[in-house]
Amino acid sequence: MRAGFVRDLAVALAGLGLLIALPVVFPQPALRDFLIYFFAYGLMAMSLNLLVGLTGLVSFGHAAYFASGAYAFGLLMQSGLVSIPVAALAAVGGTALIALVIGAICVRLKEIYFSFITLAFQMFIHSIIVTWVGLTGGDQGLRGGIPRPPVLGLDLNDARVLYGSCAVVFVVCILAMRQVSQSPFGYTLRMIRDNPARANFLGVDVTAMKLGIFVFAAAMASVGGLILALFVSGAYPEFAFWTTSGEAIFMIMLGGMKLFLGPLVGTLLLQTLNHFVTIYTEHHGLVLGTVILVIVLGLRRGLADFVYDAIQARRARRAAAPATAEPAAQTFEAAPLNGRTV
Amino acid sequence: MLCVEHLSKSFGGVRATKDVSIDFPAGSLTAIIGPNGAGKTTFFNLVSGHVRPDEGRVLFDGTDIVGLSSLEVVRRGMARAFQVAALFPSLTVREALTSAVVSHRRGSGRVLSRFPVPDAVRRADAIMEMLGLGPKAGILSANLSHGDQKLLDIGLALAMDPKVLLLDEPTAGMGPEERWRMIGKVRDLWQATGMTVLFIEHDMDIVFRIAQAIHVLKYGAVLAQGNPDEIRRNQDVIDAYLGTDHRLSEAVGEA
Amino acid sequence: MNLEALVDCLSSASCAVTQVSTGLIVGMLLFLVTSGLSLIFGVLGIINFTHGAFYMLGAYLAFTAYALTGSFLVAMVAGAAGVGLFGVLFERLVMSRVYGRDILMQLLVCYAMILILDDGVKILYGGEYRMMGMPDVFALPPVEIAGGFVPGYYLFMVGVAFAAGLVLWLGINRTRLGKIVRALAINPQMVGALGINTTLLYAGVFGLGSLLAGLAGALAAPIRTLTPGMGVSILIESFIVTVIGGMGSIAGAFLAALLIGFTRAFGAIGFPLFVDGLMFALMALVLVVKPSGLLGREAA
Repeated sequence: MRAGFVRDLAVALAGLGLLIALPVVFPQPALRDFLIYFFAYGLMAMSLNLLVGLTGLVSFGHAAYFASGAYAFGLLMQSGLVSIPVAALAAVGGTALIALVIGAICVRLKEIYFSFITLAFQMFIHSIIVTWVGLTGGDQGLRGGIPRPPVLGLDLNDARVLYGSCAVVFVVCILAMRQVSQSPFGYTLRMIRDNPARANFLGVDVTAMKLGIFVFAAAMASVGGLILALFVSGAYPEFAFWTTSGEAIFMIMLGGMKLFLGPLVGTLLLQTLNHFVTIYTEHHGLVLGTVILVIVLGLRRGLADFVYDAIQARRARRAAAPATAEPAAQTFEAAPLNGRTV
Repeated sequence: MLCVEHLSKSFGGVRATKDVSIDFPAGSLTAIIGPNGAGKTTFFNLVSGHVRPDEGRVLFDGTDIVGLSSLEVVRRGMARAFQVAALFPSLTVREALTSAVVSHRRGSGRVLSRFPVPDAVRRADAIMEMLGLGPKAGILSANLSHGDQKLLDIGLALAMDPKVLLLDEPTAGMGPEERWRMIGKVRDLWQATGMTVLFIEHDMDIVFRIAQAIHVLKYGAVLAQGNPDEIRRNQDVIDAYLGTDHRLSEAVGEA
Repeated sequence: MNLEALVDCLSSASCAVTQVSTGLIVGMLLFLVTSGLSLIFGVLGIINFTHGAFYMLGAYLAFTAYALTGSFLVAMVAGAAGVGLFGVLFERLVMSRVYGRDILMQLLVCYAMILILDDGVKILYGGEYRMMGMPDVFALPPVEIAGGFVPGYYLFMVGVAFAAGLVLWLGINRTRLGKIVRALAINPQMVGALGINTTLLYAGVFGLGSLLAGLAGALAAPIRTLTPGMGVSILIESFIVTVIGGMGSIAGAFLAALLIGFTRAFGAIGFPLFVDGLMFALMALVLVVKPSGLLGREAA
C-alpha cells in the first residue's frame, strides 16, 4: 500500500506543481484556458478508460455523465441556495445515481450491445436536455451565467485562482482513479476484462464489479463536466451529444489504453488538433473524421502504446534470459491478447 | 461431501446426462472416465452450477445446491479447472493467483488498499510453490507453456481453498511424460490438502494407477463404478471401452 | 401533457385514421432502417453505427436526383442503389480492415464516417433545411378512409416498405442464397471451405443492409425536411426498435417499429414532451424483463 501510493502521490504533486508553474512561466490567458479545457476533457477520457481499458466495457455514452455533472452543478449554483463545494458534491452524487440506474440495465449486456445501449441512453439524456426548455434552456444551453461565490476565502472570479482550483481538483481525481486502478478492485476488473466467465468461477461477482466501476467512472466524468461548466459559466446540450462521447473514445485510442495516463496524451493531442482545425477551416468534421480513419487504419494503436510496447519488449527480453523461455501455448497465440491498461 | 442423485439434463432432444447418481466421500480421489461425448464435461457443468439440471439433486455438504448460481457454488467451496485452461492473459502468474486469493477472501471490491495485498501474495506464493510455478511468477499468463497454463488453471481453483475440486482433463494436450508429472502433482496436492478431488481423464494407465474410485460414463449414464480392480474386471466396461483399443479415445477435444 | 386530446383523437375516426397513417409511415421507415442494421449485425456481427448517416445520404441522393431529372423513380433508385454501393465501398475499404479487432476500432471508424458524411453533406448542400417536395406523381387528392384523409404517398410508402420487408424475409428464409447467408452468420469458415467467396458475401450483405437504409431515406425525402445530422435520431430509434423487437429478428423489428411508430404518432397528441421518455422506458423495460427482445432468439 504505502510504497505504491506514496510514489503516486509524489508524481501527482510534481504534476500539480508543473500545472501551477506553467501559467506562471507563460502567462498568456490562452494557455490557462487551454489547460482548463484539458482538465475537463482529460477527466472524461481518463474515466472512460477505466471502463474501456481496465474493464473491457466499451461505453459509447460516457458524455452523458459529463453533461449531467455540468447541468446539475450549473442549476444548483443558479438556484443560489448552495455553495460551490456542496453543489459539486451534489452534482457528482446525482450523476452517480443516474449511472447506477443506467448501469444496472447495461452492464449485463454483451460487448457491442453494451456500446449501443449506452449510446441510446446518452441520447435520451440529450433529448431531455433539449426538450426541457424551462429547466435547461434547451438548445440555447444553460445561460445567465453560473455564479462563483468565494470558497474558503478564495475568489474564483480571479482567473488565476479558478485555474489553480481546477488544477487541484483535476490532480486529486486522477490520483483517485490511479488508486482505484491499482487496488484489489482494479485487478479484479482486469480479471473481468480478460476472462469474465473464469472470474465468475473464482467467486467474483462480475455484474456488481462492473456496476461499481461504471458508477465511479461516471462520477469522475461529472467532475470534468462541472469544471467546464464553472469555467465557461454555462452548460450546453453538445456536452451530452454523441459526438462528445465519440471524441472521448478517440482520445483514448489516440493516446493509448495501455498506459494509465495514455488518455491524457490523447486529450492533449486531440485538443491541439481541434484548436488548429478550427482556426484554418470550418470543416471540422471532415478533417477530424479523416484523421481518425488514418490513425485507426494506419497506426492501429495509440501513441503512448508505442512507448509501452517498447518497454514491454525490453522487459520481456530481460525476463526471458533467466527463465528459459518456453514456447507459448497455441491457445493464446491465436486469440488476440486483450491486455489494455496495465 | 458431494453426492449427486438422479441427475438428468437434455439439450434439445439429446439427453446429455441420464439419471446419474454418484456419491463422492470426503477426501476421496475419483476419476470420471468415458469415451468422447459421454457427458463428462456436462456432468461437471451440472455439478458446479454452470448449467441447471432438468432433474435430480446435487448435495454438497448435505445441502442441495441445484439452482444456485455458479458464483454461489464457488463460494460454498467447490472450484474447478477447465479442459482448455481458462486464464487471464494479461496478468502475470503471481497477479492472477493473488487476484483469485483476494476474490476468495471477499476483497474484490476493496479500493482503499493497494494491490498486491501482502497476505494474499503469501497465499499465492504458497500455491505457486505447491505447483512448482515459483520460477514463473513474473511471466504473463498468456506466455506460459501449455503445461504451465494447465497448472495455473488448477492453481486458480486452489486459491478458492475448495473442499471439492473438479479437474476437467488436467493432462489434456500433454505428451506422455508430462502427463505423469502433471498427475503426480495432482496426487501430491490431494494428499497434502485432503480435498475431495474429481478428475476427468482419458489415459487408462493414469486412472488405474492413482484413482481410488472410478465412474464410467457412457451416453450420459453411469455404465459402471468401483475401484480400479473392479473396473478392470467389469465386463461392460471391457466391452464398451477397453475391449477395443483402450487408448483409442486418448485424443483430446471432447465436445 | 394533454391526455384529453389523445382521448378525443382516439374517439374520432378521422383523427384516429390520420394518426394511424402517420404511425404507419414512421414505423415503416424505422422498420426499413432497423432491418438493414439487424441484417448486418446478424451476418457480420458488427453494429453499423453509420446506418443513420446512410439514411441521411439516401435522402440527399434522392433529393439531388429528383432535382436533376424530375423523376421520382430515378430519385428512389438513386437513393437506394447509391447508398447500397456506398455501403459496399465502405465495407471493403474501411470496415473490413477492423474486423476481428477491438470493438473500439469499429466504433471509431463509424464515428469518423458519420463526421465525414455529415460534414460532406453540409458542404454540398449547406447547413440549413432542405425540402424535396412531393413529386407530381403523388399530387393527388388524399384518400378518404373513415372520415380521415391519408395522402396517397403514405399508402405508396407503406406498400413499398412492406414489400421490401417481405422480399428480404423471403430472400433470407426461402432462397438458396439466403441459406448461404444464414450459414455465413453461424460458421463463416465452413462456408468458405465450401468454395463460396465469403468476402464478396460480406460486402454484399453490408451493401444490402445499407441499401435498405438508403431506400428509407429516399422514401422519407418527400415528406421530411433534410438536414445534415438527420441520421442520428433515426439511428437511436432503430436501436430501440432492435432491442424491443429482438436482435436478428425481422418479424420482431417489424412489430417493434410499428409500436414505436404509433407511440410517436399518438404520443405527439397526448404527451409530446414524454414521447422520448416513453420509448426509452419501453426499451429499458424490455432489457430488464426480456433482454433478448420480444422475438429475439439469443439472450443478449
